[in-house]
Amino acid sequence: MAIIEINDVSKTYPNGCSALDSICLSIEEGQFVAIIGPSGSGKTTLIRLMNGLEPATKGCVVVDNLKVCKHHLRKIRSRVGMVFQHFNLVDQLNVMTNVLSGRLSRRHWLPSMLYLFHKTDYAAATEALRRVELLGKAWTRADKLSGGQQQRAGVARALAQEPKMILADEPVASLDPVIGRGIIKLLKEISERDGITVVANLHQVKMVRQFADRVIGLHNGRIVFDGSPSRLDDAALHRIYYGVTNENDLNGNKDQHLAVAYP
Amino acid sequence: MKMTLMATKTSIWQWPTLSGRPPLLAVLGPLGVVLLLVVSANLVEFSFMHIIRSGRPFIDFMQNLLVMPDWVFMPQLLTKMLETVEITLLATAIALVISFPLGILAAKNASPCPLIFNVTRNLLSVIRSLPELVWALVFVSALGLGPLPGVMALAVVTVGFMGKFFAESIEVVGENAVEGIQAHGANRLQVIWYSMLPQAMPDFIGSLLYILDHNLRAAAILGLVGAGGIGYDMVMSMRLFNYNRIILIVMSIYLLVTLLDRLSVRLRMKLIHGQAREALQ
Amino acid sequence: MTSDTLPPKPKRFLWIWLLFAALVLILIARNLEINFTTLIWGYQDIIEYFSRYGRPDFSEWRHYSALMLQTIAIAFWGTVLAFAIGFALAPFASLALTPGKISHQTARETLNFLRAVPDLMLALIFVSSIGLGPLPGILALGFHTGGFLGKFFSESLDCVPHGKYDAIAAVGANFPQRVMFAGWPSVMRETAGYTLYIFDRNVRMSSVLGLVGAGGIGLELHDTLRLFNYNQATALILFLIGTIFSIDYLSTFVRSKLK
Repeated sequence: MAIIEINDVSKTYPNGCSALDSICLSIEEGQFVAIIGPSGSGKTTLIRLMNGLEPATKGCVVVDNLKVCKHHLRKIRSRVGMVFQHFNLVDQLNVMTNVLSGRLSRRHWLPSMLYLFHKTDYAAATEALRRVELLGKAWTRADKLSGGQQQRAGVARALAQEPKMILADEPVASLDPVIGRGIIKLLKEISERDGITVVANLHQVKMVRQFADRVIGLHNGRIVFDGSPSRLDDAALHRIYYGVTNENDLNGNKDQHLAVAYP
Repeated sequence: MKMTLMATKTSIWQWPTLSGRPPLLAVLGPLGVVLLLVVSANLVEFSFMHIIRSGRPFIDFMQNLLVMPDWVFMPQLLTKMLETVEITLLATAIALVISFPLGILAAKNASPCPLIFNVTRNLLSVIRSLPELVWALVFVSALGLGPLPGVMALAVVTVGFMGKFFAESIEVVGENAVEGIQAHGANRLQVIWYSMLPQAMPDFIGSLLYILDHNLRAAAILGLVGAGGIGYDMVMSMRLFNYNRIILIVMSIYLLVTLLDRLSVRLRMKLIHGQAREALQ
Repeated sequence: MTSDTLPPKPKRFLWIWLLFAALVLILIARNLEINFTTLIWGYQDIIEYFSRYGRPDFSEWRHYSALMLQTIAIAFWGTVLAFAIGFALAPFASLALTPGKISHQTARETLNFLRAVPDLMLALIFVSSIGLGPLPGILALGFHTGGFLGKFFSESLDCVPHGKYDAIAAVGANFPQRVMFAGWPSVMRETAGYTLYIFDRNVRMSSVLGLVGAGGIGLELHDTLRLFNYNQATALILFLIGTIFSIDYLSTFVRSKLK
């Protein structure tokens, strides 16, 4: 059962920049999908299409049998959690409130405006904080946390939603490699244990090889690779990061390119 | 790790704090405000009946405003509006000239000695304490009716504000540029002129635009006490319930203020871009 | 190829602008029939006039204190009203948070209108329609400064990094939830600062609202000067300066603590 279906979707920004070109993609439930590609390839746009943060110019996106349109946005977003590169926590609020904000889609605006949450919300938030091992910091202000802790809080926020899938837009790009690896490991564990589909933008190829079930390579707004990480060889990487036409350097220095270029 | 993070309460809805109750400040703040309102209620002659009863007369007044403007009044209106603008410009220009040296004296890092700094700073504060209309009252009482007392009143208050803004802009200039010039043996005046003022200028010009904005509104009401501008006609037409003039005056003030607002936004944009362009060259 | 001579100096038009400005100002002074020279030659008269303010008469200080308290109370009520208006309208007027184009434009134009009409003018309108007393003053101050607060608030809401708004949108929050969880918490400090600044300003304005019958100390001052009662006028002015100066000082102090 495909949980995400992207049907012939194109995205062009108002300034004329074409980010995605006729993308067709189908993601099964429970997979850990990694999207890789050079900057400007449309990775972020693709991921933001999946929860409607970016509307498609052409084509349609279907998430959990719901078409991504204004009418369904709240419902879709309640089932799709998101983790960001810059964490995007509200600095002035404590960690618990930040995590609880993941439950807002279930709550009416009236109690929310008074910052009131239901018992079940607290149960879900506490469980999420336990999963990411951040219980001790529940009442600390978000900006007093380290980068890694803030990202874990971000993951907890997504978990508190009790989502069917989690999107991660460059989740570890602002973290040091050791901490980053911990976050990806956490996401992988969540994916395996809870059956939550994880779609992550990454540029650390080593991590992709180790944790992903499926890799999608983007170049210039098109999918140029789609398969298991075992098939992600140097030639494939070259195609993703340099494009199909540039396989051979003019001077034939193919090997040198490959050795130096990839993370 | 404990599974329950919060004090065990039986209520279904709770606040995201350790105790489950809202944070103290979040409660005390609004409560304090409400308390002050209640305490001062009879001071402001507050009564719900009065407010409810005021609804009808207000709507009637607004309905009466929907009349044909008094076009015969136009020439006089335009003259008075022009006078208002002139008062604004003249007063601001005079204030600019006077607040330039005063601002320097009121800046901690540019003032020649602590005594002068304190005296000037406090003098500017005192001047600012009185609203323009009060100064206008005083000057009208001294000089009689007409635009002159209005210009003087506006100029005096503007000196107070501009002097403060200017002094503050000078106080936040970067130490490095100042030290650079000092190291070359420049005397106090040269240090001020060549390193402090150029750095303080952009902020100062920005605040100048705010001040012009404010002064136009202030000039529009000076006529209330006979100090020139459209204010006098405004009061008179209100008193006589001359609705077709009221609507004209309100509309023209609104248009003028909005025009200046848009202009100053554009000027500010230009200023920021001009600086950026110079920085690139 | 480098040249041996300096590039031509960019033309400085500043002096031409200054000359132009000076000319305009002289024309204005002519038009307003203002003669500064008579002012300067009449300096003896001026000194004599201001000496009349030298002997303040504080006999009515109880009355003045009550009026001053009323003035401050009117400013306080007006600021609370202004805060309510700003709080309600700012999220709609903020480009980043607004739920729709129509509400955005409506909110912005409303705030612009409230800002453009001087509060004394609003006070006149309210006095003419509702009658004399502090209530028209409160309404005038509240609506006019509500326009300012609304604009200030919406500008600081716009300055919040948009990623935070993305995150709160991504969890499926609706408009009020986004405003309360990502909007206001991020700008709490600036909000408090602006509100204090407006209160400060309102105390000043409230002192002259009495001139149109909207309560406070303004009318008293007008009457004393009208009757050439300089001693009492001086006392009133000193009261005014003292009060506004202290509130100004307190407000600046609290705002610096907020930074």
